[in-house]
Amino acid sequence: MIDSEQHTYIDMIAREARRPVATDRAARERIMTLVRSEPAPHRRSSVWAAIFQPRFSLSPAVSTLLAAGLVGIGVIAGAFAMNRDGHQVGQPRFAAAQRLPVSDTVVKFVFVAPQAEHVSLVGDFNGWDASKTPMVRSEHSGLWTVTLPLPEGRHLYAFVVDGNSWSADPNAPFAPDDGFGHANSVRIVNRGS
Amino acid sequence: MPVSAIADVTLAAGGWVITKDMSDDAADVQRVLAGDVDAYAALVDRYYDRCARFAVRMLGNRDDAEDALQATFLRAYRALDRYQERDRFSAWLYRILVNQCRSIAARRAHRERVFVREEALLLNAPDRSVGWSGEDEEFVQRVLSELDPLLREAFLLKYIEEMSYEEMSALTGVGVSALKMRVKRACDRLRERWERIKHD
Repeated sequence: MIDSEQHTYIDMIAREARRPVATDRAARERIMTLVRSEPAPHRRSSVWAAIFQPRFSLSPAVSTLLAAGLVGIGVIAGAFAMNRDGHQVGQPRFAAAQRLPVSDTVVKFVFVAPQAEHVSLVGDFNGWDASKTPMVRSEHSGLWTVTLPLPEGRHLYAFVVDGNSWSADPNAPFAPDDGFGHANSVRIVNRGS
Repeated sequence: MPVSAIADVTLAAGGWVITKDMSDDAADVQRVLAGDVDAYAALVDRYYDRCARFAVRMLGNRDDAEDALQATFLRAYRALDRYQERDRFSAWLYRILVNQCRSIAARRAHRERVFVREEALLLNAPDRSVGWSGEDEEFVQRVLSELDPLLREAFLLKYIEEMSYEEMSALTGVGVSALKMRVKRACDRLRERWERIKHD
């Protein structure tokens, strides 16, 4: 093999793969429907903003003294964060701040209902509200799916077909009767499951 | 928006972000955090197509890609208060997307085992190619799908998203030398595939 041969082939694949894929406008709207059912995120208390954007000014000398003091506090705190073997306890603070949210695991729910007009997922994670998590019918099939992040733990859920028919998931364990005549299913979510 | 020099060096290359988008992103994030949920639609519109391309190439089918996109944008929204402006929004979002694609790819085998019977009953095989633009794209998608997922991810980030190795490293958490090795191995696999086709 000569390099030019490989490059020709790689270029051909890359050129083809760089083409945009057709996307569905409705898919974006489904995302926004889910987003609107979420609690609104809010800017956290701006402790860091107060540190990095002070509303008062300091002279260079005072700033230097303050910086030296902060470094000293950091060294002392670091010493307390070491165990007796000299190993650091826990993760560095800045690494933790930059870590992606990992508390939730993305779970896909699938339900077969070829005749249904509309299917929703209800569960303890959305207040059993049939309007909050509509499922999407896969094109040319009777498979209804929805994917959503769930926290670790045991979740009860069911599917609501056409707004009135309540169905458990035939592919998941059943939960004990909820006392309202509904059969629910159980999904255990572990991190990385 | 305060952007550190480190962020500029780490994330500016690759044609992935332009300055106007950065300022638009920052403004939209601020609007969302101030309570304007509709501002998030602007972020979704701005990045959906590019994320869709990566997800489709990575996962090999549109259903899984759509799941990855939905989970990515939903998770990003939930975590928006943790987004820090010193990162570019696009790089932050892309990091979430890559993780979601990894998760979905890892779980797909199990799901296929569970639902293969129902799908076989309900799906017609030819329908699965609906929407593809032509034979070349199908072929390219097929050879990409034959790559090990980690090699495919590295190849896509390098050759399709045109990122530098430093950007890829920041995004994946994998070292530059390991990423170079993955890209090389991906190219080698593709070359082997090419050789087989030529001799068939």
